[in-house]
Amino acid sequence: MTAAVETPLARAAASRPRTTTTAGPSRERLVSWAFLAPFLIAFALFLVWPLVHGLYLSFTNQSLTGAGGSWAGLDNYQEALTDPTMWRALRTTVWFTVVSTIPLVLLALVMALLVHRGLPGQWLWRLSFFMPFLLASTVVSQIWVWIFNPDIGAANSVLGAIGIEPLAWLQDPAVNLYAIVIATVWWTVGFNFLLYLAALQNIPDQHYEAAALDGAGPWRQLWSITLPQLNSATVLIVMLQILASLKLFDQAYQMLIGVSTDTTRPIVQYIYESGFVGYRFGYSAAISYVFFALIVIVGVFQMTAMNRRRNLS
Amino acid sequence: MARRSTMLSRRGLLTGAAAIGGAAALSGGLSACGAAGAASAANPDQLQFWTLLSGGDGGTMADMVAKATGSGAAYDVKTTTLVWGEPYYTKLAMAATGGRPPELAIMHASRVPGYAPGGLLDSWDIGRLAELGVSQDDFPEEIWKKGMIGDKVFAVALDAHPTVLMFNPEICDKAGVLDSDGRLRETESPEEFIDLVGQVGGQTKGVPPLSYGYLGDGSHMFRLFYTFYTQHGASMTFPEGGRAEIDDDIAVESLELMQTLLDGKLAVQRNDYAAALAEFATGRSGLLFTGVWELRSVKEAGVPFDMTAIPTLFGTPAAYADSHAFVLPHQNQVDEHRRDLTYRFVADLLKGSYEWATAGHVPAYLPVTQSPEYAKLTPQSHYADVAERVNYDPAAWFTGSASNFHSNFGNAIQPALMTGKGAPGAIDAFRTRVDRLLKTQNPVDPDGTWTP
Repeated sequence: MTAAVETPLARAAASRPRTTTTAGPSRERLVSWAFLAPFLIAFALFLVWPLVHGLYLSFTNQSLTGAGGSWAGLDNYQEALTDPTMWRALRTTVWFTVVSTIPLVLLALVMALLVHRGLPGQWLWRLSFFMPFLLASTVVSQIWVWIFNPDIGAANSVLGAIGIEPLAWLQDPAVNLYAIVIATVWWTVGFNFLLYLAALQNIPDQHYEAAALDGAGPWRQLWSITLPQLNSATVLIVMLQILASLKLFDQAYQMLIGVSTDTTRPIVQYIYESGFVGYRFGYSAAISYVFFALIVIVGVFQMTAMNRRRNLS
Repeated sequence: MARRSTMLSRRGLLTGAAAIGGAAALSGGLSACGAAGAASAANPDQLQFWTLLSGGDGGTMADMVAKATGSGAAYDVKTTTLVWGEPYYTKLAMAATGGRPPELAIMHASRVPGYAPGGLLDSWDIGRLAELGVSQDDFPEEIWKKGMIGDKVFAVALDAHPTVLMFNPEICDKAGVLDSDGRLRETESPEEFIDLVGQVGGQTKGVPPLSYGYLGDGSHMFRLFYTFYTQHGASMTFPEGGRAEIDDDIAVESLELMQTLLDGKLAVQRNDYAAALAEFATGRSGLLFTGVWELRSVKEAGVPFDMTAIPTLFGTPAAYADSHAFVLPHQNQVDEHRRDLTYRFVADLLKGSYEWATAGHVPAYLPVTQSPEYAKLTPQSHYADVAERVNYDPAAWFTGSASNFHSNFGNAIQPALMTGKGAPGAIDAFRTRVDRLLKTQNPVDPDGTWTP
């Protein structure tokens, strides 16, 4: 992090004519550190320290109430890896990531293509697709709790109109994770849509003109120009989306409050419950590091995939 | 010149912004600290009182506090109402750990066994309470005992709020299941009760006559299950580090009765709490398994209703219940003057708890429930006897209202209720979960060093 910021500064200093006093560079360095300090302090205090302290806690039996704190070795990790609830929660999060990422990427692409193709009133589409993204998760949850109400909700009215039996959207453990997916798609698809739209606008018109001259129709253009040109945007969007989906907590917690079951408890919620409801900070820290390991694996996988793509091209 | 001035102004802006930001952070932090401490420091007679009672209960409690502090009382009370449930207990624990808890708080009695061992609570001085007219004899035995750990009293109950049976007297009268006093006919076995429910079903126009909603609500599943279970005269014991002592046959029989009732004809098979309540509150069904705390909401719905204890179907009168109880969150340094006022405040609230009965709860303080005034209060007096037969959650650090024990129970049992099959397997799954919790060390006392 710091290196990226320092390099241009150092380069600027080097390229300057050396007519100033010898105190110059060290003063410059001091100033640059001073500018970095606010960020570095916040970074150390709120990211590095909790990370290190959390790792330490995961080896103790520290309680939220201040009790405990003695060294527990690998006990917490051993318990976590044999805890069926932990695996269940991890599976829920991973499954949610799979079933939410796919529509969040595909729908965003379709929406962006439609808007970019020149639907009338583009600004209105852009606005209305993006607007839900600006809402707080609490607001989104409240709205969808109403929509999913089994008796008076809009979701069941729609189902009724097309002759499908009403569902207990949030109460039935067989469907409530998908209800969360639907709400999440509505909420966040606008962000991916915007990224796609920006990428679409970056494709030079000449490509299409040349293709048209060669007699390519709209579908041919889509397959041979638009989609290949969007490849790098897609990689970025999928990456961001996977990370966002893995963080599932707010909307699931808020919409399923009181009806949370083993099948719908995301791992982040289990971390919260172990620590703040069960008072077991040590154990909760251990689970979060197990989850962290998963994220690192996903991250490494993505990076290698991207590097390979870059080398190929 | 122009260039320099923009540079200067940018730098000035940055410095200014940093200064303002820093100052805001400092002053915000400091003033927040100051506010919390100052409120109680300023007025030595002011007590901080935390409750988890919102909605109608919160209003009733506010009235009681106003009454207690009104007529020249020696104390003033600042009530803080926090959201019911898990977050409340987290906040209370953190306040006690942080050394600045309220002078008085309300907890569920069932949570005390999990809470006291961390040194989070101070015990009550029985002598001091007795001087103010509050002693063991003034409470039903089970309710008083629930506040004790070892020989010390950690919680003084305000009420018992048991699970009860609500019925619609109009519908039940037409079905011919009321006795001459207009009370629900006694039933003494599952068969008799099922028969009665069937009779009520003749009058509910195709709607299942019994309302019971449980989907996703482990607490409400446990309430009815444990009522039937304890009606067998059985109990559950959860010895720390050991294995759960559950009578499997009785547990399966209790669960199977629930499955029988949830057959789609007697009661809707898959219903949630709110929907079941709505069925009854709109006059569509004739019977409802619920808690006394729903008295007010059903009353406001304007539907005719009465309440009674859940019939004794297995020989022993029993009902699942919990209590709202007064506790003294642990103070690092006890302010004797404030503590004295706290005792007086609690005694005043208990003596004024007739008001609390209007919210449906059964006051724990016997002089209130034995008063002629209370005898005239309906339907409250129709179920006051339940206070003599209450059964709390089995004592363990992980049990109690809003604990994850109930959600564990729900997760193990719900599939059996939804499908009407597999009761023995569900009880097995429940046992496995409890055994797992028993193997976990109590997080508020992980080294096991606490003694009452």
